[in-house]
Amino acid sequence: MISGRALLSRSAPLLACLGLLGIWQVAALIINTDSFPTALEAIRAIPSILGDKESLINILASLRRMAIGFGVAVVVSIPLGLMMGRSRAVASFFNPLLMVTYPVPKAALMPIIMLWLGVGDIAKMLVIFLGVSLPVIYHSFQGAKAVEEKMLWSGAAMGLSAAQRMIRIVLPAALPEILTGCRTGLVLALITMVTSEMIARQSGAGNILFNALDMGQYDTVYAMIIIIGAMGIGLDAGFERIRGRLVKWSEPSFDIPLSFA
Amino acid sequence: MKARAITTEVLLGIVPIALLVALWQAIASFGYAPATLLPPPGTVFTRLVQQLFTGTFQQEIAATLFRLFAGFSIAVVLGVIIGLFAATSPAINAVVRPIVRVLAPLPKVALYPALLLLLGFGHESKITLVVADALFPILLSTYYGASMVEQKLIWSAMAAGTPRRQILFKVVLPAAIPSILTGCRIGLVISCIVVFLAEMITSTDGLGHVLVTAARTFQAVDMFVPLITISLLGLILNGLLQGLRSYLLRGFPEI
Repeated sequence: MISGRALLSRSAPLLACLGLLGIWQVAALIINTDSFPTALEAIRAIPSILGDKESLINILASLRRMAIGFGVAVVVSIPLGLMMGRSRAVASFFNPLLMVTYPVPKAALMPIIMLWLGVGDIAKMLVIFLGVSLPVIYHSFQGAKAVEEKMLWSGAAMGLSAAQRMIRIVLPAALPEILTGCRTGLVLALITMVTSEMIARQSGAGNILFNALDMGQYDTVYAMIIIIGAMGIGLDAGFERIRGRLVKWSEPSFDIPLSFA
Repeated sequence: MKARAITTEVLLGIVPIALLVALWQAIASFGYAPATLLPPPGTVFTRLVQQLFTGTFQQEIAATLFRLFAGFSIAVVLGVIIGLFAATSPAINAVVRPIVRVLAPLPKVALYPALLLLLGFGHESKITLVVADALFPILLSTYYGASMVEQKLIWSAMAAGTPRRQILFKVVLPAAIPSILTGCRIGLVISCIVVFLAEMITSTDGLGHVLVTAARTFQAVDMFVPLITISLLGLILNGLLQGLRSYLLRGFPEI
């Protein structure tokens, strides 16, 4: 009984995927226009995209840019966020700057950055970097701020230097929060990647998508949407698994629905 | 004493922004970058003020704001309702949770071409994209807020004779308000960003369109103006929401 239920809860996202595809299929059959192919037609177009060498190279290039932008952003943002969390001066130095830049759409900087750096990889990676760093900084900041003073005092009493306390106490204590930020950042990296390619229209997954739209190859458009969507869901699920390994000790407590009915 | 500490903090916070503007001015005025690539800040801000008083630019702002508010309001209504019901009914929860888990990490911009095909190039496709992006943070924070409501509060309300249907709106909703407002804040910023991006990708009006038009003709000054405008809009709306929050949450402990 329990294992059956566990199996059900594990396969629930898969069932949800199938359900959504089913709704799509039915809706497409009802609407029945050229610009809205059925789910099956779209799925059938996927192998021809992934089989085509050029578009595969394009998609992999997109992923590489995303990985570099995301990696650099994480490496820079976590130490900055942790320092902001532990030092009032650092926090009040950077906070207003972050607040002002927060509502700026990062992918919208693309045209300006392209003007300076050209349409190449660097411009796109810079935009992804900017998009990812804010949530990671913010969550690291919150996580470091919430570390219990007593643990730091004990560390200091045992003779840890400030840098050691940062690495051995603050970092692990803030890790769950940091990873939440990284998860948001990962989704944002994918979004920024696609958007920047839609705007720069030179190479990459976003470009394939819009070229297909311009040429009226509707099944390719929808197949590309499925591919990008699957990337998002896959990356998120993979990251969730890593997070589960790293911070097993801090399960989020809000996984049970409240019931009074 | 406390007031002085706050003033020092504010001063400290202005430093990096001032440094950035100074650096910008220095790069522009010492000729490291030609004005066609990086116009000096003075030029950009004069242009901004000048534009803010022209009718056409105001119309672009109005178009953007309309899409932003329409999308954001729909997202708030849907998110709060679905979140509340998912938190309080196990049956709805069982359906909603896996769907949300699949849809939340999906990059919604990728859906934009499909929305264009289905809904056309007008307001509808952009508003739908805003809804799709702003919905999930609001829904999730409503859900978490509503699931964290203390069971004792619900029991007391039931003991006091509150009908079950009303418990949702009289106990759970008010108790979840802080969390809902946090979600709304994230959703609002996302709405600002998404509406701008959608207008950049395909549009005939709105701030994003202004930026793209300027970029096509390499008018660097006009590229900065809509960007600064959308950030200002974001900050102003954020401030308004903050005001609403402190009004609604008077008496709640500050988080």
